[in-house]
Amino acid sequence: MNIDWLSGPLLQQLNSGVILLNQQLQIVYINPYICRRADIQLESVQGKDLFSAFPDAPKAWLSRKLNSVLSLQSPAFSSWEQRQYLFKLPHLRPISSANQYMAQNCNMLPLTEPTSGEHFVCLLIEDATDAYVYQSQLQQSNLQLQQVNRLDGLTGVLNRNYWQQQLEVEVQRAGRYQHPLSLLFFDLDKFKRLNDDYGHQAGDIVLIEVAKLIGSLLRETDLFGRYGGEEFAIILPDTPLQGAIEVAKRICRRVAATPIEYQQQQLMTSVSVGVSQFSTATSADELIQQADLALYQAKRNGRNQVVTYYPELIDSLKKVKS
Amino acid sequence: MTDLSFTEEQRDCLQELINVAMGLASDKLARFLNTFVHLQVPAIGLVNAAEIPEQFRGQYQGLNSSMISLGFFGDGGLRGETILLYQLENAGKIAALLGYDDDATSEAEMLTDISSILTTTFLNGLAEQLDNSFSYAAPRVISSRDNDFISKLEQTAFHWQLALKVDIRYELTDYSFDCNMILLIPGEAVLKLKTILDNVLADF
Repeated sequence: MNIDWLSGPLLQQLNSGVILLNQQLQIVYINPYICRRADIQLESVQGKDLFSAFPDAPKAWLSRKLNSVLSLQSPAFSSWEQRQYLFKLPHLRPISSANQYMAQNCNMLPLTEPTSGEHFVCLLIEDATDAYVYQSQLQQSNLQLQQVNRLDGLTGVLNRNYWQQQLEVEVQRAGRYQHPLSLLFFDLDKFKRLNDDYGHQAGDIVLIEVAKLIGSLLRETDLFGRYGGEEFAIILPDTPLQGAIEVAKRICRRVAATPIEYQQQQLMTSVSVGVSQFSTATSADELIQQADLALYQAKRNGRNQVVTYYPELIDSLKKVKS
Repeated sequence: MTDLSFTEEQRDCLQELINVAMGLASDKLARFLNTFVHLQVPAIGLVNAAEIPEQFRGQYQGLNSSMISLGFFGDGGLRGETILLYQLENAGKIAALLGYDDDATSEAEMLTDISSILTTTFLNGLAEQLDNSFSYAAPRVISSRDNDFISKLEQTAFHWQLALKVDIRYELTDYSFDCNMILLIPGEAVLKLKTILDNVLADF
């Protein structure tokens, strides 16, 4: 059976784009799939340069590729994953998809006209918008999962696990580049009594509000995490001890001066802060231990204050314990 | 189980066909890149696909390497997958030759372009030698800048029975470009290939 009649209707109805170009990259044929989406008439672009008919197409890159197809007589490809689209065409999922243009896979094939032997290159364009949309959704949910995995559920600051990973990173960075690095440890004063007097819901509100207040006092590069219970920790990169003490004092003052509203009552709270500083001799663990010791001393000194670590603290702690 | 091993004659014949295909490929590349391309006689080895990952572990361990896959189909049941392996350091040189320094192209795009040019020119030549013609799937970056590529190669090689390992060295005028090409061919296609090789041998 003769099937010469087949190619005509197939090209008309094919659910992929077909663009045929001659060796000068002039348009020989475009099928209705492209014509309709680009809102052009075949007659008006026939014989025109591809890039004058589609001025938005990536000219330098695409003509290089098309020329490689012609001179090597080997096919070339373009994937939406690397280049979202070659031609600005609308797609048929305008509501469910955020991106404006059809994501495209493109095959570029070398063709030879059998009688004249003339070479052509044919672009086959497939709509990959669905794959693009699913991939974007997947990436977005992965990003959300990653965020959730890093944050403390109650206060929204970094969770202990992620905070501690970040501390390791910052300690290494500070060591490598000889940058200053300071650490604050702080704890809500008499938090247990607040829980006993007003209930755990009040305690939660206080944790959330204090975290919010302190977060607003920090720079974007500071790393604020919940260490456990009512204990929080802040990594201050590129901050020498003096700067860290100032931040700590500001935190102390602001928390003590800011009432937190809970069921028409004004709850007052305060924090005690321990400060330690990175020097090349210290590890992340040591830095934490030193800030924790300073925090303990701040509590012993009567709370609502800042104490900076000094080596004798270790001895004073031993005395307390013995 | 069907015997997939090649006779000595078949192996020699295949080596010869690959040599010719490589010659054709280098000629085309030289014209395209406007530079002299010298191709050493490629070393081919027929190995069990399962052994492939181990063979490459040592060679690429700890290097910034890339692995790009390209599937192909031919007439007469011939089909397979080529995997091109090379160090990223090398890719930059070829990229410059292909003119990839003048616009914003992603690394993945550059890598797939290089690989498809290198593999399809070779495969087209091979198809010609086998009196066949191949059609190709779009190339895919399996792994790049990634230390885990051996395990990805393991997953890929698992699907195939026989692997034809072709070590290729492209030398261009100013520098050399080393890469490894692996032709992975499934069992039934190996039988087809053997038949085709026998036909080629019978013609001489």
